[in-house]
Amino acid sequence: MTRGWFCWDNAALFAFIAFFSFSCSKTPAVEQGSLTMALEAGPAMIDPLKSTDAVAAKIEGLVFNGLVKRNDDFTISPDLAERWEFIADPLRAVFHLRSGVKFHDGSAFTSNDVKRAMDFILNPENASPLRSSFADVKSVEVSDDHTVIFNLNRKTAPFLSSLTLGIPKLGASNPVGTGPFRIVEIKRDDKVILERNAVYFDGAPKMSRLIIKIIPDETVRTLSLESGEVQIIMNPITPDLLPRFRENQRLKAVTSPSANYSYLGFNMEDPLAGNIAVRKAVAHAIDRQSVMSHILKGLAEPATGPISPNSGFYEGAVERYGYDPEKAKKILDEAGFPDPDGSGPTKRFTLRYSTSQNELRRRIAEVFQWQLEKVGIGLDIRSYEWGAFYADIKKGNFQIFSLTWVGVADPDILRYMFHSESMPPDGANRGRYKNAELDLLLSAGVTADGEGRRRVYSEAQKIIARDLPYVSLWRPLNVAVTDRRVREFHLSPDEGIKSLKNVYVEN
Amino acid sequence: MKSLPLNLKIGFAVTLAFVLIALFAPWIAPMSPLEQDLYGGLAGPGSDHLLGQDRLGRDMLSRIAYGARISLFVGLVVTVVSVTVGSLIGATAGYAGGRVDDFVMRVCDVFLAFPGILLAIAIMAVTGPSISNVMLALCLMGWTSYARLARGQTLSLKEREFIKAAIAMGASHPRIVFRHILPNIAAPLTVEATFGVASAIVAEAGLSFLGLGAQPPYPSLGSMLAEGRQFILVAPHLIMFPGAVIMLVVMGVNFFGDGIRDWLDPKRHARGDS
Amino acid sequence: MRAFVIRRIMTSIPSVLGVVTLVFFMIHLAPGDPVEIMLGENAAPADRAALTKQLKLDRPIFEQYLSFLRGVATLDLGESIHTKKSVAGSIAERYGATLKLALASMLFAVTLAIPLGALAAVKKDTRYDRGAMMASLVGVSMPSFWLGPMLILAFAVELKWLPVAGADDWSSIILPAVTLGSAMSAILARLTRSTMIETLGEEYIITARAKGLSGFAVIFKHALGNALLPVVTIAGLQLGALLGGAIITETIFAWPGLGRLTIQAINARDYPLTQGCVLTIALSYVAVNLLTDILYALIDPRVRLK
Repeated sequence: MTRGWFCWDNAALFAFIAFFSFSCSKTPAVEQGSLTMALEAGPAMIDPLKSTDAVAAKIEGLVFNGLVKRNDDFTISPDLAERWEFIADPLRAVFHLRSGVKFHDGSAFTSNDVKRAMDFILNPENASPLRSSFADVKSVEVSDDHTVIFNLNRKTAPFLSSLTLGIPKLGASNPVGTGPFRIVEIKRDDKVILERNAVYFDGAPKMSRLIIKIIPDETVRTLSLESGEVQIIMNPITPDLLPRFRENQRLKAVTSPSANYSYLGFNMEDPLAGNIAVRKAVAHAIDRQSVMSHILKGLAEPATGPISPNSGFYEGAVERYGYDPEKAKKILDEAGFPDPDGSGPTKRFTLRYSTSQNELRRRIAEVFQWQLEKVGIGLDIRSYEWGAFYADIKKGNFQIFSLTWVGVADPDILRYMFHSESMPPDGANRGRYKNAELDLLLSAGVTADGEGRRRVYSEAQKIIARDLPYVSLWRPLNVAVTDRRVREFHLSPDEGIKSLKNVYVEN
Repeated sequence: MKSLPLNLKIGFAVTLAFVLIALFAPWIAPMSPLEQDLYGGLAGPGSDHLLGQDRLGRDMLSRIAYGARISLFVGLVVTVVSVTVGSLIGATAGYAGGRVDDFVMRVCDVFLAFPGILLAIAIMAVTGPSISNVMLALCLMGWTSYARLARGQTLSLKEREFIKAAIAMGASHPRIVFRHILPNIAAPLTVEATFGVASAIVAEAGLSFLGLGAQPPYPSLGSMLAEGRQFILVAPHLIMFPGAVIMLVVMGVNFFGDGIRDWLDPKRHARGDS
Repeated sequence: MRAFVIRRIMTSIPSVLGVVTLVFFMIHLAPGDPVEIMLGENAAPADRAALTKQLKLDRPIFEQYLSFLRGVATLDLGESIHTKKSVAGSIAERYGATLKLALASMLFAVTLAIPLGALAAVKKDTRYDRGAMMASLVGVSMPSFWLGPMLILAFAVELKWLPVAGADDWSSIILPAVTLGSAMSAILARLTRSTMIETLGEEYIITARAKGLSGFAVIFKHALGNALLPVVTIAGLQLGALLGGAIITETIFAWPGLGRLTIQAINARDYPLTQGCVLTIALSYVAVNLLTDILYALIDPRVRLK
């Protein structure tokens, strides 16, 4: 029997050695010229003319160029088009394209590629989700290899922004663009491998190879970053991990302003949520500041409305709702919602609060539940799997929901959010908010110009803050955590990763 | 009086401790389990908060004490209801025999065709998450094992002289079942029920862990584990403590059940089997 | 043998029918209108009507039942409300992962349990025995939703030997398999011990020992072999039970199997998909039990006579 035991010990020792050598082989060295970034989800497809998901948009930002590009301060500047002009009678926009631009397959980029891309989108048969963005484009013509003409119904402010659309080479079996990186391989739900475009017209990227690894689990992403397997991770990053990252000498956190806006949406057709007193009371009863400092660990800025202070259209002089539970109680008392037992357990009324199953969102919901209870409002938290939750919101099946708008750039998005003709499924006025005065302003904003346009949106923002179809929460900051040696990386306001073009690793 | 088996003593002590914590939760808990302190979120064990604070700064000790209360309540209610319903159905089936017996056993087979807590999960899927629905689901899932046991015991009991005598004397069927059969099969059912409490506690925690049980803000040991999972890197105490409590109580109750069995079955005890 | 197989299959038919019926009624037992639960109180009438039609809820219940039975027989379980993908297809996509996990768990459980149980039996009433049995008690009492995170903490977070979650390479199955298999291992260890003790007391073992065969040879050649038969049977039965346990384990480790799909379906209030998942798991369990019984009868002819 002793012999038997001896064998057992050997087996255990062997297992230990096997484990140990395995763990050693798992720590890779940073390959020179190669950079690995982890993302939460993979792209559904890489095709700027069809895809709508956020991950695809990030990767498309590296592979394709639009006629124009949006800068971090929301202004528009030339990209594939060097310059453009609008000509009246008949109304058209003429774009002069940069010459000498080549696709990744070596073929030259010409005005025909722009026309083919636009024809694809405008053709109803292709059911491109982007067609509505180009509703005012009648047709697209080519006058020579470097000039393309858009025939327009009317001149609208958002038209130029919509031309940030990436232009692919149609007919290629793999996604082929003109951008700083070309796609080498897409392994679904695993990784996307990109390689430097050495002849990129705006200067070749510094890194020769980029690997985008799909790691859905945050703990895995974190550990991969800490082990050096991955050099960049980006939001969503649970704020509670930041202190841990900051303690790590090998890592650094990079924050940047976002074009995102978190809010509570109300169902304006609901007898309770549709009552302005209820919305005002909620706005005063929640303590955003303590959530921002302690739950979000400072990764958010206060918000007064959807438009960011970085935008030229931001209006700061709107009604604000500070944390004031006493005022909330008073508003409810006066509006005929008395608290049956003062601070006792019986509530004035209970609201359904819909949210996704994201841990942070559920946690914030629980904070609000606790804070609203203090003023006598009960909160019944319903958290569902994302698809079901989002479907509920679009169908109007909610009293209150919490969501974040991503990439709020042009103020015309207010029309998409709040115009009474912008109800789902085509629009995003999910709360069925109706205000005729606001409708007029938002319609006027589409074609207005210069200072006039600024005034229109200033007025619109004031009305929205007064009617409270949304209760503003905060503006989340973009955050990425990288290896300390990674230079020049930051997220653009729309969570884009275009800065990877200029990134290098210091040795 | 023979001496009590060691496992019975240990099991009893652990179980008793748990019951006391649950009963006296309002006195043991230093504060309300719902009181938030965002500033102290995820803080580890310290002098103010012996077991640390959760993701909303709520006191873990208080939450665990109240969570134990939910566990114990669910465990007891589910077991009592399942045992009562199960043994009545089982004893009746065994006593009646024939088609009634066949039918009941087929129904049991169907219920037992759902492995683990799948049946409870399916029931929660349609009834929606709440603690009372958890109890309903666990009762629906739990009665079958008691029914089978009661039936088996009744079948062997039916052949015994005193039952035959009772039948011969013209006692009514309900009287025979209630006065003669049920009291005589109580012992094995009690042992089974003890293990039943443990599995009901685990099942409740499991359902709450999956988000199908207790809803926020109420603390269940299972949902505390689910909430803490995200913070395994920065605050492992969020899962360690509630999980340890579940494990200890389940071990305690299982020990207790083993002990009772040994105690009721001296032959087994003498063999030193556990 | 053939007669036994046929008889055994016949006896499982009522269970199968019962399971299908129960799963069918799931949607009807819901408190309130199932369409309202899925779409919500404020859903548009047109959406309601469409879903009612899709789920055939406007038909008489008997007709619904028949069409459900027909669907199960032809593997057509309808389509998911949210993804619009076929339920059978979604399940087929995930089934392999769950099966792989269940088999790996069993492998782990058996390799741990048999030596442990045999050791306990041979060293009966020593501290080895008590230690092994104590370990098995801990194993049975350790809920998977605690064991899983603890293993992650130890082997993925602190030691960094194994991945935290996901199903990327062979190493990612280790922690889920250990989590799922540990309780089964504890049960099998106890079973091995008791059958082994029984076998060791039997005539031929005692004879073999008397003939001067070494203790080691007797234990491993004769006793263990005979003791394993019931262990293997129970292991088979437990394989089916693992399918139920996989729901929690898959949730912990983000394992892309059927259990996780079930929970995702429930959280999306997607009844057709939930029904399909529950049905598949339950029927697999019945099938595994059936196969185990038949295999056992093949090995041990005495069973057939029962």
